[in-house]
Amino acid sequence: MTTLGGGSTIGRPDLWHRIATSLLASGDQILVLVVLVAIWQVLSMTLGSYWVGSPWGVATRFVAGIGDGTLLHQASYTVFEAAAGFVLGALPAVVLPFALRRLPIATAILDPFMVGGYGAPKLALAPLFILWFGIGIESKIVLVAVTVFFIVYFSAQAGICALDVGLVRMAQVMGATERHVARHIVFPGAVPYVFAGLRLAMPYAIGGAIIAELISANRGLGYLIQFGAMNFDTTGIFVALVATTCIVFIGNWSVNAVERRLLRWRPVSDVTLQAGT
Amino acid sequence: MEEPLLEIRGLAKRFAKRSRREPAPWVIQDLTFSVSEGEFLTIIGPSGAGKTTLLNIIAQIDVASGGEVRFQSQCAPIDDPKALQPGLACRIGYVTQDDHLLPWRTTLQNVLFPLTVQGRLNAETRTRAEMLIRTAGLGGFENHYPHELSGGMRKRAALIRTLVYNPPVILMDEPFGALDAQTRTQLQEDLLRLWNLGKKTIIFVTHDIAEAIALGDRTLVLSRQPSRIAGKHAITIPRPRDVRGIMTHPEFGALYQRIRAQLQ
Repeated sequence: MTTLGGGSTIGRPDLWHRIATSLLASGDQILVLVVLVAIWQVLSMTLGSYWVGSPWGVATRFVAGIGDGTLLHQASYTVFEAAAGFVLGALPAVVLPFALRRLPIATAILDPFMVGGYGAPKLALAPLFILWFGIGIESKIVLVAVTVFFIVYFSAQAGICALDVGLVRMAQVMGATERHVARHIVFPGAVPYVFAGLRLAMPYAIGGAIIAELISANRGLGYLIQFGAMNFDTTGIFVALVATTCIVFIGNWSVNAVERRLLRWRPVSDVTLQAGT
Repeated sequence: MEEPLLEIRGLAKRFAKRSRREPAPWVIQDLTFSVSEGEFLTIIGPSGAGKTTLLNIIAQIDVASGGEVRFQSQCAPIDDPKALQPGLACRIGYVTQDDHLLPWRTTLQNVLFPLTVQGRLNAETRTRAEMLIRTAGLGGFENHYPHELSGGMRKRAALIRTLVYNPPVILMDEPFGALDAQTRTQLQEDLLRLWNLGKKTIIFVTHDIAEAIALGDRTLVLSRQPSRIAGKHAITIPRPRDVRGIMTHPEFGALYQRIRAQLQ
């Protein structure tokens, strides 16, 4: 009985410890935020709010923009473009290395093209995509998809290359077929690498959508930035930037949440180290 | 005379050349021995003697370069990696030096893995798996992931994962090598108990002379590379054996000295 009681109290200090550490960490984060806002305020006061919109002005415009729905309306285009492009780029990027796993020659032939695609500055392709797909959301989705594809492709491939041959041999000795190996060993082993790629690609997806909007669009956060610049409205630009940052935060948090669920089997330290935020 | 279960004659092995000029050295050369059914054979040799390579060849996850390997009078391929049949249709189980548990599967899921891929997972085999887990002292850890288990527990889980599908032959490659003395003795006792229950054929590789004597019916001593048989010893210490007190047995000292002399 006493041992049972002892067992249940072990969990408690651990929980308190976790709450205390996270509070402490968020305390530090708030401190950094305050310092950054203070620097911003000082810059705004010395250079004039004409050049650097004041934090207070940005905050009121931000709240007002959410209140009347205009900001959310514009953001929804950007989020849709980023999300659609993310899925469209990430899916083939995960499937392709798996399909090519047993075809080393095909992989070798494709490799230089993949490296070239990875290295090419995708943002420079934006004008081309706008010419091909028009100024609507299609060109933005394509740009995001291309950007995301190459990042995730190389991560997924790295995950497949990192396969532990010992695990495969063991499975074969136990009677596993090629399909069992793919499903039970290669795939779960590559998942952490795929997620590393997804986490890396997420801000690029949002950034890509915004850059494409900057070049040519009549809606979205990129359009807001462009519109603000044309009207010498720095506060408007800052509002759009704050909105973008919020979206990246939410996107990052979502990827981490899904990853933590899928990768429960990993040692806790790995997961928390990668959680980042 | 009864046909041996496993017969190895003139076995030779060398790995692919690393450079064009010098030929690769022989890891194993002219190795001959046989194993009969139900026997507990221990193989001992200095490190780098090709012990793991030998087991890999028997389990058919590596290919021999020459000689003859017969299992149940069926010849293994020589120099033809594509014709390998890993585990010989689940007739040979293999407990490797590293436990090779799948890190994304819990203890129970790892133990059930062979049954799953063999399509033999049903209520009966599942009950047997759960029974084995409890017998091995892993009760309460069924839903833990490998990184949450201690070294000894992982070894036990790896052993059970092989026992669960009941292969008639089990190869073991220094399975208790990296453990502390206390845990190791415990696992040796567990292994002997399990072997007594099923009377499987076991080929157990070790670099520990005392372990080789305590467990085996017979001990083979391998020489340095290229590996050959340096000595054969029948261990006549009667069973059931007391693993902890094996050193005090009158036959132990002389055997130990003879094996150690051959290991030099």
